Amino acid sequence: MASVSFQNIEKSFAKTKIIHGISFDIADGEFVVLVGPSGCGKSTLLRMLAGLEEISGGQIAIDGKVVNDLDSKDRDIAMVFQSYALYPHMTVRENMAFSLRLRKADQALTNERVNKAAQILNLDALLERTPRELSGGQRQRVAMGRAIVRDPKVFLFDEPLSNLDAKLRVAMRAEIKALHQRLKTTTVYVTHDQIEAMTMADRIVVMHDGIVEQIGTPLDLFDHPGNLFVAQFIGSPSMNVVQGKLRVADGQAWVEAEGARWPLALSPASLGAATDGRKVHYGIRPTDMALSPDGSGIEARVIVVEPTGAETELLLEVGGSKLVLVMHGRTNARPDDTVHLALDVPKAHLFDAADGKRIN
Amino acid sequence: MKRWTLRSVTNEARLLLIGIPLLIWTLIPIYHLFLFAISTKDSATSGNLWPKHPTMQNFVFVLWEKHFYLNHFWLQMGNSMIIAVTVAVLTLFVSTCAAFAISRLKVRGGRTVMNLALFTYFIPAAFLAVPMYKAMGNYGLLNNQWALILAMVTIASPYCIWVLKQASDKLPYELDEAARMDGATPLQLFRLVYLPLMVPSLVAVGTYSLLLAWNEYLYAFLLLSNDRSVTLSVALGNFLSADDSPWELLMATGFIYALPPAAIYYTFKRYMVSGLTAGAVKS
Repeated sequence: MASVSFQNIEKSFAKTKIIHGISFDIADGEFVVLVGPSGCGKSTLLRMLAGLEEISGGQIAIDGKVVNDLDSKDRDIAMVFQSYALYPHMTVRENMAFSLRLRKADQALTNERVNKAAQILNLDALLERTPRELSGGQRQRVAMGRAIVRDPKVFLFDEPLSNLDAKLRVAMRAEIKALHQRLKTTTVYVTHDQIEAMTMADRIVVMHDGIVEQIGTPLDLFDHPGNLFVAQFIGSPSMNVVQGKLRVADGQAWVEAEGARWPLALSPASLGAATDGRKVHYGIRPTDMALSPDGSGIEARVIVVEPTGAETELLLEVGGSKLVLVMHGRTNARPDDTVHLALDVPKAHLFDAADGKRIN
Repeated sequence: MKRWTLRSVTNEARLLLIGIPLLIWTLIPIYHLFLFAISTKDSATSGNLWPKHPTMQNFVFVLWEKHFYLNHFWLQMGNSMIIAVTVAVLTLFVSTCAAFAISRLKVRGGRTVMNLALFTYFIPAAFLAVPMYKAMGNYGLLNNQWALILAMVTIASPYCIWVLKQASDKLPYELDEAARMDGATPLQLFRLVYLPLMVPSLVAVGTYSLLLAWNEYLYAFLLLSNDRSVTLSVALGNFLSADDSPWELLMATGFIYALPPAAIYYTFKRYMVSGLTAGAVKS
């Protein structure tokens, strides 16, 4: 187990800079998820930590020791690849024992470690099979077993679930989380799937275009996104955003957008420099809206109704903006009906239109 | 069960229409070779489809070295084998190392080396025979079997490097990264991961270079001159130096000479299967 520290990390391929000075720390035993859209540099950052990619600038330290110039094998980390990367000519047992074999570990110790890992991952019955005889989920578990056997300081996961079908992904998600709770090894996990990030992470690092947009616990990011990108990236369905102008008058603040008045639960004082007439984005999560029973609130037109059983998802139109509303239970609303929206005002978010930063 | 539709029948017929003539075309020379080999000297050129008195006498002559031209048959057969096997082993070593370095270790200048190697094929090997003779003379290797071995390795390697490089490129690169993270040195990666996965290609390339050396005539003829050091292919050529060549013996020897390559091909054919990497990564 170990802490990991990124100090001003930069990465360039030829003349293209893809990571622009990233700094953050990971505590001992923490499960940190790097999340962001594809091409944001999250995998590259992980590969730099793994020693598979050269570091163009800055320092990476594991347990306080700078590892920039250390070979992968000397960093004492193990990685699970998106494509599993199992050795096809070896059995599951040989795959898992490979790193110990290279280290010339004692045979008894190797067997003990492999058997223990196999037991944890439910692979006991598969030890003598080759990877081609396994299903996707089993291969994924072998890849994890290979990492566990080494008992490394840090586990790295590079989108390990993206090749699995939806049902298996949910099951494996829980397995990885349970594994972390059991082993308590520091883990860095890369994914583009914000649900994976939300469900698994102790802390999430949201990346975009080679910079860190925000770092925080899942609920922190959900409740207080620092900017428009994080607001729309975290949460599913993603946050509704309308563009408009901030209005401050008579001790009240609201946003004027799409011909409607979007209320804010802020006193003008708390808005700071945000002044009347400023261009802003008003954000509200699909779950923070409801259909108003008394016909008050913002008027909207129903476009699509999607019942999912316990919940119903409504696609609505207000002016030219499309909004999603998720409600518990069912509704009688039909497409083309006119409904009224009651907003959970304290949970509304306000972002500056110019730089996307959070205002409230 | 397969259903015979008109389309599938015509497809099949078309294939047969092309396949049967091709098969006959290929087999007729071999049939002639065999026909000569089992005919007596008088009837060898009679033009019959089957000899009136088929005989195995020619094979006895060859195997017991009972003719002037065949005095060193077994020695020359041995020479052919030693040279072919050595060429195959050396070519495999050179080309596997080169392909690994170029494709997996991505050494600087690897592509240039590949292109230069392929460039050698722009000049027909026959044109290089005399320069090669001169070079071997400078090294003092003339009439030494190493001269032929080195020449054949030179000729076989570029193609083998190219084939192995293409095959290596198809191995998932994540395997190398996984092995590196597991603590493998480049040499361990080569030995424990790369080589086992390359077996089908190695067999193909090894067979290719072995057969190339086995069948070589021009270089063997130029670089070796002593009756006791030449390969069997050169010895076969010598049959033609007489006015009255013993055709039936030449063909019988040729028939025997063709057996080892056939055996090698059928032995190793089953190793030349792809799909060994199935299950390594999600495809």
